[in-house]
Amino acid sequence: MPTFTETAKATKKKKEIKLVGVDMYIITEKGIPKFDDIGPFKCEFISNRGTKVWPGFVSPDLLQVNWYRCRFMATKDVQDADVNTFLDALTRKGWWWSAAQKLWNYDGEAGFSKAY
Amino acid sequence: MGKQHVVTMLPGEGTGPEICEAVRMVIDASGVDIKWEYEDIGLDCLEKYGTLLPDKTIQNIAKNKVALKGPTTTPIGTGHKSANVTLRKVFDLYANVRPAKLIPVLKRPWDKIDIINFRENTEDSYAAIEHMVSDEVAQCLKVITWPGSYRIADFAFKWAKANGRKKVWCVHKANIMKMTDGLFLDAFREVAKKYPDIESGDIIVDNCCMQLVRNPAQFDCLVLPNLYGDILTDLCAGLVGGLGFAPGANVGDGCAIFEAVHGSAPKYAGMKKVNPSAVLVSGIMMLRWLNEEAAAAKIEKAMFAVLDERKHVTYDVGGTAKTDEYAQAIVDKMHANA
Repeated sequence: MPTFTETAKATKKKKEIKLVGVDMYIITEKGIPKFDDIGPFKCEFISNRGTKVWPGFVSPDLLQVNWYRCRFMATKDVQDADVNTFLDALTRKGWWWSAAQKLWNYDGEAGFSKAY
Repeated sequence: MGKQHVVTMLPGEGTGPEICEAVRMVIDASGVDIKWEYEDIGLDCLEKYGTLLPDKTIQNIAKNKVALKGPTTTPIGTGHKSANVTLRKVFDLYANVRPAKLIPVLKRPWDKIDIINFRENTEDSYAAIEHMVSDEVAQCLKVITWPGSYRIADFAFKWAKANGRKKVWCVHKANIMKMTDGLFLDAFREVAKKYPDIESGDIIVDNCCMQLVRNPAQFDCLVLPNLYGDILTDLCAGLVGGLGFAPGANVGDGCAIFEAVHGSAPKYAGMKKVNPSAVLVSGIMMLRWLNEEAAAAKIEKAMFAVLDERKHVTYDVGGTAKTDEYAQAIVDKMHANA
């Protein structure tokens, strides 16, 4: 078996990172959530088990669980502090959430997937 | 002639249209009454509709509840979402049924393989929840749910019971992924209690791969989460003769789509060179789903006979016949057998 004396170090390219939204993981037994705009954040879509359930066509047979991914996109330039305010507002409105994932663009390209 | 069925035909792209025409010719000649409604899907839709899966196609499938689909290509990396995955998601086609059975005339190193794979089709790392969580770390959520796991296990046991199968295996990696695969296994064990007449067992996915290539005859039915299912169903197809003969069905409570699992082979498009058997055997599965057993058996018998004679077979199985010549030979054989 050959031996190697050096372990490769990955190159890293500096990228411009821009905050553009938040994925919220909401737990509810009341079906597909509905949201008004919250500050600069507007709900773009909601998915359940990875399948988009709002807006658009939803099969009446679709299995849904009590955990929804709700994508909120910023309608203007936002900072991390705006996300803190948003999370606080969402919680005060009574939404129970398991996690939040900030959405960033890297060099202008989305660093997050779309829902099916 | 019995009841008329209305079926959505999705020819797909590349060699899909010529394959689907050949398959339609064979199915129509079997005596079954099918009204085919053609709809678009795949890369060729991009220019016309701006999507791989137009709304018009979705609406037609929603109306007919059954479709036969030719091959489509999924772009790798960035770009458009897979039409196949979108179909499974939109119609909640949670059970991907992939039989792997030896075709007698295709010589393989084994005497017997007769495996039915039940791949969970809508969850796991196919939930499309991916993020670049920093500029050097990507993350994909593996989503496994109790109801999603429960229903695929129940589907597998129901199928096993209805078809006289003896044992259902749960394939997992719960020794490492204790939450996700652990939940899948727990649901399987819960369901297994409802079917005391069917034997059940579980096996770790890497061991299952090794056992499949050493002694595939030991397996009967396998139920798997989405990603392991994607990989092992192709492994099983390879054991019995390759993707060219591998049927697939995507089944939900309200809808079923039958499809070849191979690619669209665009470099052969228009040459009428490729073997249409995978779509044809998927069509045979569809006929059985439509309770058209006589037509299904008639086509199957004629196809095996044509393959056995080797006079009118395609290049991949040692012949020179064109796609439509092979199909015509099957039609002629059906007429001769009548």
